[in-house]
Amino acid sequence: MRPRSLQAALALCLLLFAAAAFAQAPRDYYRLGVLPLQSPTKLAAMFMPLADDLAKTLGRPVQFVTAPSFAAYMQRVQKREYDIIYLNPLLYTEARKYGYRAIAKVAQEPFTGILVVRKDGPIQRLDPKHLPDGLRIGFPDPNAFAATVMTRQYMRSLGIDVSKKFHIHYFRSQDSALMALYSGLVDITGTWRPSLRSMPGYVRAKLRIVAETPPQPQMPIAVRAGLPRPDVKRITDLLLRLGHGERGHAVLKALGFEDGFVRATDAEYLGVRQ
Amino acid sequence: MNTIAEDVPAGMIAADAAKSNRLSWFATLRFRLILSVALVHAVLMGAFIWDAVTEQSDSIRAELQNRGHALSSLMAVATTNALLAEDLASLAEVIDRTQRQPDVSYAEVIDAEGNVLASTDPSRVGRRVTPRIQKSETMPLAPNDGVLDLRENIQVAGRDVGAVFVGMSTKNLHQALAATRDEGLLFILIALVVGSLAAWALSFATTRNLHAMTNAVRRITDGDLDVRVNIQSRDEVGLLARAFNAMVGSLQRTSRQVRLEHEKRTEAERLACVGELSASIAHEIRNPLSAIINSVQLMTRDNVPEADRRELAGIMTAESNRLQNILNDFLTFSRIPESKLAETDLCPLLRDTVLLLSNDPALPKSVKIQTRIHADECRARIDSDQMRQVFMNLILNGIQAMPDGGNLTVEVQPRGERLSVRVADTGRGIPDDMLDKVTRPFITGRKDGTGLGLSIVQRILMQHGTKLTIVSHKDVGTEVSFELESA
Repeated sequence: MRPRSLQAALALCLLLFAAAAFAQAPRDYYRLGVLPLQSPTKLAAMFMPLADDLAKTLGRPVQFVTAPSFAAYMQRVQKREYDIIYLNPLLYTEARKYGYRAIAKVAQEPFTGILVVRKDGPIQRLDPKHLPDGLRIGFPDPNAFAATVMTRQYMRSLGIDVSKKFHIHYFRSQDSALMALYSGLVDITGTWRPSLRSMPGYVRAKLRIVAETPPQPQMPIAVRAGLPRPDVKRITDLLLRLGHGERGHAVLKALGFEDGFVRATDAEYLGVRQ
Repeated sequence: MNTIAEDVPAGMIAADAAKSNRLSWFATLRFRLILSVALVHAVLMGAFIWDAVTEQSDSIRAELQNRGHALSSLMAVATTNALLAEDLASLAEVIDRTQRQPDVSYAEVIDAEGNVLASTDPSRVGRRVTPRIQKSETMPLAPNDGVLDLRENIQVAGRDVGAVFVGMSTKNLHQALAATRDEGLLFILIALVVGSLAAWALSFATTRNLHAMTNAVRRITDGDLDVRVNIQSRDEVGLLARAFNAMVGSLQRTSRQVRLEHEKRTEAERLACVGELSASIAHEIRNPLSAIINSVQLMTRDNVPEADRRELAGIMTAESNRLQNILNDFLTFSRIPESKLAETDLCPLLRDTVLLLSNDPALPKSVKIQTRIHADECRARIDSDQMRQVFMNLILNGIQAMPDGGNLTVEVQPRGERLSVRVADTGRGIPDDMLDKVTRPFITGRKDGTGLGLSIVQRILMQHGTKLTIVSHKDVGTEVSFELESA
């Protein structure tokens, strides 16, 4: 066995060992798992003020974490490694199977997917008759509900077969997909409004929304089954109360959800898959 | 009162000179020059090497510390996203690459809750641990600490989300420092050897000529004024050699002149002495001879009564005896042989002499002789016969100085490494105007004396390397003394 192969094998063993160790580690803190919609750093900047407030409310640390990909995130959800999760409606329907229940959702604009193009790009309107062949389309992840699933469904409703009409590229996060569009790596990108808003002004100035999907239920926050009932109540109360205080406004401003959260019911999401 | 100082024996000067010529090697110019150069090299090179090693040590330490900080900062940046995403594979890759960097002893990433997400120590991964350090270490480290521990907090939006730990081994640093120190010591050693060799060569070139001059000086000390040094060098030693040769030449000319002057003066003194001696002899023998001649002339007359004839015969006999005594003393004075020195106890010699003279019927009853010997043994290098003559003459002189009786004291007393011999009488003393003349021949204060007794004593003592000291007070007495070197 060559040295590099040996190193790779050792690294794999180390990784498996570490993953097993994490899964079994008892904790005295809560973990807030956020779907990797954007870069981890940007997500951390958004959600860490909320994690701090949750920690104060619960009297124990709340650790912000995300995942390298949607798939990895959902694997950890399946293993119930997160205590509180923030994810899209589609993945929430999966998370329900592993004992997570929605307690609040973003009280904001309708949850829609958008298709964004460069202002000087080859696509100026989404008309199947005028779309040239060989175009490139970017998505963050196959499981990105608004950015991928909803936009693909919407284009199918327009008579555009994405698989045939476009070369599909996945960029792991919303930010990466938008930057790929800005850089000319793709001609159109599926994403959602919060991600477009978080882009720098010089990027936004070059892009425009060419289509928007019909709305779906907003992004939920769910908690793991087994969490103490008082803690669940405290988390819910905090989320619903965020829009009322100065501190809460600062948290919402960091999140980009200026209208805060409203109570969510599990039933709202039952029809998402359908 | 008169005191005559002793001369230092010439043999002692030569012995001291020989001792002073035997230089210890440590006292030589060569040794001192080599030592000086070696010391200068050692001190200067030591200071230079110390400064260089210190500077290099600081530089190496700073370089290691800066590299560690740069590495930990880079790790913090590189692991931020992976840490937030708990992307263990990416973290493991970063740790693996970090470990391959030179001097990295360990690397580790922990999250905000203290969970080890990645580490070069697999047993720590997945464990919740106390952070290795709260704050980065700085150089210099504690004596037994071989790892520089560095910490870099990973911050996002002003909040700590984790930390990176990097340990930089100081093993290579110490090896580099040891190599630098060893090189420095080697340079010092080389400088010492080269400097010492150069100093030796320089000192050899210098002292070789000085040795030649030293040998020349020794030969001059031995009386050889024909010696010259043959040094052709054009340096200061060459100048000194030429000046030395010129000085020896001048000394030789002066010595020759002195010798000639001395010979002239000696000849003149000898002639004067012969004249003086002849006059003294003539003076001494004229009176008895005149008495004899007159007596003979009177006896040849026809009308000299028998009683007068007998008286004249008595005068002739007495004066003839006196003439005989004068001639005997003079012969003794003129025929004093070279002293045959041998180690002898002079105390028995002195006691015998005193005993002999004490039993002499001619000794006046009114003269008391006391002998005081303050030592069990009085060993000295002397000629026994001549020393007996000395004692005899001094004691007789003392007795004759006390015609009305008195005390004569003979005393021997050790004084350090010398023996003091003293003969003191309570006679009438020597007049001041005669005190410095009494050791000359035919100088006497008595009418029946020949004036040769003290002259004989002085000559014998000079042959023994000493002199007579005479102290006299009128109507109190006279003390004569001399010292001999103890054997």
